Amino acid sequence: MNTPRHDWKALVVRRAHATGADGLARHTIDELAAHLEDLYLEARASGRSERDAYAMAERALLESALATVPRSQTRAPESRPDLGEPPSRGLTGVGADVRFALRQLRRAPAFAAVAIATLGLGAGAATAIFSVIDTVLLRPLPFREPHQLVAIWEGNAVKALPKERLSPVNFMDYRGVQSSFTDAAAWWRPEVNLTRPDSEPVRVSAIEVSGNLFDLLGVSPQLGPGFPQHGPFYSRDPLAVISNRLWHQRYAADPGIVGRRLDSKDGNYIIVGVMPAGFDFPADVDLWLRLTWDLTQHSRGAHFMEAVGRLKPGVTAEQASRELASVSARLAAANAATNRDWMARAVPLLDDMLGYYRPALFVLLGAVGLLLVTACLNVASLLLARATVRAREMAVRAALGASRIRLVRQVLIESLVLAAAGTVAGGLSALGLLRIAIAALPASIPRLAATTTDVRLLAFALAVVAATAILFGVVPALVLSRTQASEALKDGTRTATSARGRRWNRVLVVVEVALACTVLVASALLVRSVSRMIHAPTGVSSHGVVTGTLQLSSSGYPTWPNVDQFYASFLDAVRRQPGVESAGAATALPLEAGWRLPFDVDGRPAAREDERPIAQHVAITSGYFEALRAQLVAGRWLTDRDTASAEPVIVVNQTFARRAFPGEEAVGKRIVSTARYIGPLGRNLLEAGPFRIVGVVADIHQAPLDQPDEPVIYHSARQFPFRAMTLVARGGDEASVIAALRSGLRALDPSLPLSNVRTMDDRLLARTAAPRLLMFVLVAFAILTVTLAVIGVYGLLACLVNERRRELAIRLALGAQPVALARLVTTQGLALTMGGVLLGLVLAQLAGGMLRGVLFETRPSDVVAMGTASGLLLAAAAVACLAPARRAARVAPSEGLKDHG
Amino acid sequence: MSHRRATEDAKKGSAELIILAIVEREAHHGYEIAKVIEERSNGGLTFTLATLYATLYRLEDRGWIKGRWVEKAGARRRCYYRITDAGRSVLAEQRADWSRFVAALSQVAGVKYA
Repeated sequence: MNTPRHDWKALVVRRAHATGADGLARHTIDELAAHLEDLYLEARASGRSERDAYAMAERALLESALATVPRSQTRAPESRPDLGEPPSRGLTGVGADVRFALRQLRRAPAFAAVAIATLGLGAGAATAIFSVIDTVLLRPLPFREPHQLVAIWEGNAVKALPKERLSPVNFMDYRGVQSSFTDAAAWWRPEVNLTRPDSEPVRVSAIEVSGNLFDLLGVSPQLGPGFPQHGPFYSRDPLAVISNRLWHQRYAADPGIVGRRLDSKDGNYIIVGVMPAGFDFPADVDLWLRLTWDLTQHSRGAHFMEAVGRLKPGVTAEQASRELASVSARLAAANAATNRDWMARAVPLLDDMLGYYRPALFVLLGAVGLLLVTACLNVASLLLARATVRAREMAVRAALGASRIRLVRQVLIESLVLAAAGTVAGGLSALGLLRIAIAALPASIPRLAATTTDVRLLAFALAVVAATAILFGVVPALVLSRTQASEALKDGTRTATSARGRRWNRVLVVVEVALACTVLVASALLVRSVSRMIHAPTGVSSHGVVTGTLQLSSSGYPTWPNVDQFYASFLDAVRRQPGVESAGAATALPLEAGWRLPFDVDGRPAAREDERPIAQHVAITSGYFEALRAQLVAGRWLTDRDTASAEPVIVVNQTFARRAFPGEEAVGKRIVSTARYIGPLGRNLLEAGPFRIVGVVADIHQAPLDQPDEPVIYHSARQFPFRAMTLVARGGDEASVIAALRSGLRALDPSLPLSNVRTMDDRLLARTAAPRLLMFVLVAFAILTVTLAVIGVYGLLACLVNERRRELAIRLALGAQPVALARLVTTQGLALTMGGVLLGLVLAQLAGGMLRGVLFETRPSDVVAMGTASGLLLAAAAVACLAPARRAARVAPSEGLKDHG
Repeated sequence: MSHRRATEDAKKGSAELIILAIVEREAHHGYEIAKVIEERSNGGLTFTLATLYATLYRLEDRGWIKGRWVEKAGARRRCYYRITDAGRSVLAEQRADWSRFVAALSQVAGVKYA
């Protein structure tokens, strides 16, 4: 019997196509083909002709309305062919899985790009900031037993002076606290000019320090013996140690430098050492002069020494502070006039060196942590959304015979590919961002330049990223692979699986929004704080004012009248230059504190020694107030005629007038001041006075911004001259004012350097440099985290709209307005965001303690900051709702009928 | 109502009962089921391919029968359907229903068992 082979499947498919039943499942085609073949074979067996038999089978097919056969996609996986694994189609090996994963990612380029960029940016930013913090905060200082080192400060809570330098006499008492300290070194900062006939004079940053500093720190010079080991604390023999930088710049790294004389007119110093390149203590000092005078022979009331101490082994900074406090109390009892309410304390040296940057870096650490978590959550929610969408694909593949292990392996490999791409992006962005961070952060952060990408940190951040990608890639896959395929295959309807996925997705998005809100609130608080700092009243108009510092040497200007004469004629010469409106000089500029000393009111019974009021003493020249446009409240300004031979006069600020003469006119009253010498710096030529108040100036802030206004006495520099003064000059344009200062100086004394030439605006702005920097970095982080959160909101809404197309279409068919549908979607998005915002505000309050250390006159509960952050976040979320809302409004009513087999 | 129409309607209502009954004892594939129906009804009942398979899938969907693919050497692989426990109880119910219905029909309309 001749039985030609017929292609029954092709026959079924053709017939199905001809009758519009294209969607027949493969197994249905198989079954129908088998049926036709059986029919045909039986007909042949019963003796029918080949043609008849084929016609019979064909008729059976023609009689069937194939379109009525359900697409039958709902067959349970148990009904899969009983064949074990299906024949391999190049998907068996891992290599094939990787290729398949890459293809999958290519098919969803937006998903892949967002996920990889998010992972990369999160890990990169985290590594960069962690690296900075590790180097700057966590690595020990390059000194012997650095944990034993403490900075010593005095403070006066009653006068709202939290951190002041030490009085030299007090320091000697603190140094004697044997139970806490093995030793302590102290220094002050004189101004030193280096002059040489053949080169421009330069001013170097110098300290005059007790001879034990290098012993105490445990560092030695790279060249020369340095100060003699175990040598005297102070000595009349002037010795100097120079920095590696100065050695290279000024002395061309001359190996024979040791033993030479320092080219300064301020003393006969012999260079005894060059410090190694990395040594930078105190920060930015290039010249260490050995102390030449006895600290005990100074005043307890003058606070100008800085100090470092080495704790005894086992003693903590807190214990030392308690000891110091008891010494302070004893000193206050014995010397009430100078020491009342003053209290010393020890601060771990590293914390002290970092100052504002310590809390700032911790805030950054917090922010970058939140950024990393947000990035991970975002990728998690992306993966979850994708897993939900792919549940159908999984089910189909399961139905076609793929085993669960097989599917999970596929998803795992896909996650690994994603994680690998993310880690590569993370590594690259870590390197790039670290470079940007080092360039952008101010050089004044100790040790910042030494920061390198720490491989361990990078590994950690990348591990977090990889773990996220894998965890959130695989767990949903595991859950979904357990789902009833029949459920997953109900395309276009909201199944229990996807609802579960969405619920998790909602939680992730709410948390993301909350974290973004926290970072946003923090950065809004910083913006508020910095703006308050910048706009804090200083009492002067800084715009158009140029400043620069002059330091007269004691050899060039040996007598105080010499000093007075120099400044008087110099300023006179400057004022006559074209382009200069006014010029003057002062010993302390706005935001800098003057010397705090006691005074008495003439004619009043002398106060008890420990109750004498204290005022800051600042010496100013004529023209100073005018140049700064300070406001005269009463009386007159100081003039050039207020010389040592004229009547002793002063101007006081309003706080002084209010405190010393409540309800009275201050002008005309007399003050007795005990200020005679301010160290080697200045000298009161008129002894005790009494000084008549000739004017009252509106308060000029003479302290850091976070401290209140204090009483200030402004002396005439002609009566109370100082060698070092800061010049202020106002003019039309900065360049001509600077030129005027320089030419005035050249005419009088070409050997004098004019240093630190800056505009007053720059000087004031420099005071806010650290908070501004923190603000910029936080704002950048806030933008990143908010972007991630908004992507999260968008992604979730887009998925929801996609899933609810049918429902939306039915609503539309039943008469709902498209606008109402758009509103439905937007409301949902905003409700989620609102939940996140509320949670975020709570989190921000919890983080308030961390923020308090970096804020100025701004409470963590600042309503404006919280309102702004919430508003911005809601606005961003509203933008994210736009596209999904529009899509919801444009659903075609017919979509309600499609997709339902 | 023509004779043909009546048969069609009856077939539709009874197709499920018939198929459940056929796969009650042993598993059969689609062609076998069609043959059994044809033989037991002496050619009085035939289903088109579409009706047969649509019914099979519907039954499977409801979990009353279960298909299992079997491959035998040298032959096309086929899906064998077997009744499930749920299908068994539905079959018992439907049998009882039909018995009552036919009894009522015979009393009221004089229809007799064939």
